[in-house]
Amino acid sequence: MSDAILVMKDITKTFPGVLALDKASLSVLPGEIHGLVGENGAGKSTIIKVLAGVYQAQGGSLSVNNTLISSVTPQAIHDAGVRFIHQELHLVPHFSVAESVFMGQELTGPFGLLRKQMRIRSEEFLRKTLDVKIDGNTLIRDLGTAERKLVQIARALIDNQARLVVFDEPTAPLASGEVGKLLAAIRRLKERGIAMIYVSHYLSEITNICDRVTVFRNGQTVAVFNEIKKDSAGALIEAMVGREIKNLYPKNSHSPSSPAIQAKNLGDGKSFHDVSFTLHSGEVVGIAGLIGSGRAELIDTLYGLRQATSGEIWLNNKTIQLSSPADAVTRGMVLVPRDRRHDGLVLGMSVSENVNLGSLKDVSKMGIEMRAMALARAAKQIKDLDIRPPNPSMIARLLSGGNQQKTVLGRWLTTNAKVFLLDEPTVGVDVGAKVEIYQLVETLAQNGAGVLLSSSDPGELIGLCDRILVMMRGRITHEIDTDGLSIDRLVAMTTGATGSSVTRNKSVGAANE
Amino acid sequence: MSIKSLLGRYGFLFIIAGFILFFASFNPVFLQGGNLMNIVAGSAILLIVALGMTLIVATGGIDLSVGIALDFGAAFAVVAMKEYGINWYGAALIGIGGGSIVGLLNAFLTVGLNISPFLATLGTFFIGSSVQRIFTNGGGPISYRGMPQEFRDLAVGEVYGIPTEIVIAGVICLIYFIVLERSIIGRRIHAIGMQRSAAIVAGLKVNKYLIWSFVAASMTVAVGGLIAAANIRMFTPLSGFSYLLDAIAAVFIGAALHPRGRPNVLGTLVAVLFLGIVTNGLNLMGLNFNVKGAMSGIILVSALALAVAQSKQR
Amino acid sequence: MSKAKNFLTLSRIIDAAPLVIFLGMLIYIGFNAPNFMKFSTMQLVLNQSVPVVVVCLGLSIVVMAGGDGVLSGGIDLSIPATAVLSAGIIAQQLAQADAPLWLAIVLAFAAAAIVGLINGLMVTRIGMTPLLTSLATFVAVVGVSKLVTSSRRINVDDPFIVFLRDGNIFGISAGVFITLILVLMFYFLIHRTKWGINMQAVGGSRDAAEMSGINPSYYQMWAFVLAALTGFLASFFILARGSGSSPGTEDNLMLEMVLATFLGAAFSPRRVVTLWGAVLGAVLVAALSIGFKTMGVNVFWTGLIKGSLILVVVALGALSVKVKA
Repeated sequence: MSDAILVMKDITKTFPGVLALDKASLSVLPGEIHGLVGENGAGKSTIIKVLAGVYQAQGGSLSVNNTLISSVTPQAIHDAGVRFIHQELHLVPHFSVAESVFMGQELTGPFGLLRKQMRIRSEEFLRKTLDVKIDGNTLIRDLGTAERKLVQIARALIDNQARLVVFDEPTAPLASGEVGKLLAAIRRLKERGIAMIYVSHYLSEITNICDRVTVFRNGQTVAVFNEIKKDSAGALIEAMVGREIKNLYPKNSHSPSSPAIQAKNLGDGKSFHDVSFTLHSGEVVGIAGLIGSGRAELIDTLYGLRQATSGEIWLNNKTIQLSSPADAVTRGMVLVPRDRRHDGLVLGMSVSENVNLGSLKDVSKMGIEMRAMALARAAKQIKDLDIRPPNPSMIARLLSGGNQQKTVLGRWLTTNAKVFLLDEPTVGVDVGAKVEIYQLVETLAQNGAGVLLSSSDPGELIGLCDRILVMMRGRITHEIDTDGLSIDRLVAMTTGATGSSVTRNKSVGAANE
Repeated sequence: MSIKSLLGRYGFLFIIAGFILFFASFNPVFLQGGNLMNIVAGSAILLIVALGMTLIVATGGIDLSVGIALDFGAAFAVVAMKEYGINWYGAALIGIGGGSIVGLLNAFLTVGLNISPFLATLGTFFIGSSVQRIFTNGGGPISYRGMPQEFRDLAVGEVYGIPTEIVIAGVICLIYFIVLERSIIGRRIHAIGMQRSAAIVAGLKVNKYLIWSFVAASMTVAVGGLIAAANIRMFTPLSGFSYLLDAIAAVFIGAALHPRGRPNVLGTLVAVLFLGIVTNGLNLMGLNFNVKGAMSGIILVSALALAVAQSKQR
Repeated sequence: MSKAKNFLTLSRIIDAAPLVIFLGMLIYIGFNAPNFMKFSTMQLVLNQSVPVVVVCLGLSIVVMAGGDGVLSGGIDLSIPATAVLSAGIIAQQLAQADAPLWLAIVLAFAAAAIVGLINGLMVTRIGMTPLLTSLATFVAVVGVSKLVTSSRRINVDDPFIVFLRDGNIFGISAGVFITLILVLMFYFLIHRTKWGINMQAVGGSRDAAEMSGINPSYYQMWAFVLAALTGFLASFFILARGSGSSPGTEDNLMLEMVLATFLGAAFSPRRVVTLWGAVLGAVLVAALSIGFKTMGVNVFWTGLIKGSLILVVVALGALSVKVKA
């Protein structure tokens, strides 16, 4: 494959005590979209950082366009025409689009910055190359997430020197409607002959746009798929995990009993209106909806993070007033928030401190913390949930996404919580940890807890839930039984592609299939 | 253990030891028991103020108005005794109550109005200073020579041979240590200070803790004001300001000494004693007042830089 | 829909409130103290505000390069101390050491540059927070300047300094004219050059800047050095205003600088610290101080009024964020 634009061969990288890359290889052909998949810790991001010149590899070779690059520095890689679209947006909120596109590569004349020219060129690039119309004077903070992503892409490509672009989880922050916009832009780049590496947890996107796929496991290249079809996902998972995962989702056998939480005509005056539903104990109910559908705000309101302006929340058949999450927690209702690094964990505290944070009274005598008790409780959760590394003194910041999420769940499992609000619990979590979290949700429901699962992954909603509430523009448009519900139909409902009539009959979903 | 990691962990203690040796070589009096007691006694008020500051910094804030709480503590107590003839412990309680006004105002501004602690306490500082000027007609001291001996003993008395101010500071230090470092209240306060949003989602009553922290800190600092007033038998307006920068420095040097960089009671204690040693040592060297000021300023900057640099080594 | 509109107007009212409150108070003063509206008073206001305006330029730059979170972002409280040190050195050299003006200026410049370098190094190399760093250098620099002046007032009658106080350029007082030039120069540097926009990028998002090949430490370092140099520049106006250097000027200057700069953020539509906001804040604060004086308000009350003012304005800022959310 001497015509490859990028050849990384036998790359080895060790960190103290860890072999992160073990003779891993990656080669990309000109003009192709090359998928890179693997579980968290498989070495995807490490090899990307080696390519970027951020990490120095201990062994192996790297050549771009048949030219061996002996000293891999960020500058050398940039000069070779390799660009990176990082997962985080990294934009200044109060900068304009033009300022952001030209950040670090501003156009200047004898009298300082050429603001007008920068604006025109950035607008032109966005329109011609990415097919979006954005005013160059708009502030970043007034843009949607997808547009921000496009600005980020424009910044990497505006100098027209790019030959290979690396996308690291580009759709992670996007709603499903916005994903299409981004994928369309990526396809346009391909038409212009730019090669791309596409790193993603979302296998549906990989099978959708990639020409070839490299699979990493334990720091090694375990498979290269030269042909990708719509139904390749199963084979990809098998290669990633190293075993066949027959069932991502546990078999559910729920027996709903009394109502756990009820919303009655709930509204916050802005993001959602007139929301009514019932979640029973021993039941898993899903909430589907695009970003901006009011899903996130509804969850926050149920937990007391936001205040409702109309309607009522009932818990265990009693109406309740929540002025803060503390009120919810004392009543046995807990939240696993969507942004676990910001809201879920105190990142600077240890696993033990985080696990015990919600129930400190249980590990204290007369207000004094009993450290042995606290550590023992954390150790139990670490064992039950298989949190790795199994060290209660480990700082939460250093854990992987899946293990952080398990730590948040572990905190609530030590309490007597009966109602669990889970908001996007598996975003950024690898397949192995996902399966464990799914099993945990199932166990919770079987033990009689009520689980409300808000998610943008339709497969997850159908696989785990008894019923799904579909929200659109702040209202529940469908309430549907998951028996026989197809992913396509659920996506159609969340995007409003079906009629907007409210389907309340539980069996309607199945009957329509 | 390599020298580097040894320095990383105990570097600051070596620096303190170095200063002690340096001062002792200049003047043997420095190491005598009486002088060491002087150092500790001289650090008592700063320790009390710095402990209040430690609490606020642990909640994730900062308090630029500690000086006002100290002034109010002194002013309310002195006025209560002088103008209203209230007995010494009544006056002490009124002083502490006066200090709590400052904390209540800060709590209202930060929790109620959502103003950042830096700007809120800066505003409190402006207002509190102005109130003192208005009340004292421009900043003249309120002297009360006839203050009851019991009150005076807060500063000059002894308990079992130990100066009362040391005993008071020691007791407050112990209480702070238990509450902030050993109790579940302290655990919650640290969580709030490190990541407020996560603490809210974890179901902690964040506002309650913030309000009480401001009030408790200002009441603590007011105790320092009582000792200051007892010491010189008067209330000197705006004198609390002089403790502000030392207190902040002590808290952050102390935080830098903590393995995880958290503000903590023992670290604050070590840092306050270090500042006390430097002040006392420079005094004993018999330097000119201005030279002394410049040197202690430079030592403060260097100590902070070293402590932080050392904590980054780990 | 009508509700959403109400919210918009409410947030607009709150947005405009800080400026409205200020102008309202100035108009109130104008009605109650007829002298206030005179041209000479306006001149006095501008003259009074000059040193604050200059140090505000420095503080704005540090905030822009470091981000506007007060605790973790950029702030430099040591600028006024640097100004007083620089003023002290010049005064001491001119009045006591009989040095020529150029030598005094060189020494003061060097001292200010050293303070800026120390601040910058402690922040970028050691990783101390700017708040802590600059509080500490404030104390140290005040200590050193007391050493330089022996804590005494030193009179200066150098013709250049006197010209700054009494002179006129194109009918405008010299100090105000020179300050105007300085403001324009800083404006060009910050908003019209690649250097300035990259520096703003560092403050806006350190990560974004780094990803774009901008070195954040380099800009933060320079921000502190520039800030210290505004202290050096301000020292001339301090000397001119007081006809010499006097100890203890720094406390009040620091408070006024912080007040003016963060008031300026409340005036700006984006609610971030800007050069123009800081300048406007400094002038308005000076106008209020002098206004209250001409009205005969007891001077002891000014701190109370200023303190309440900053709280009201900042609280309105917090409220506007809440209303918009």
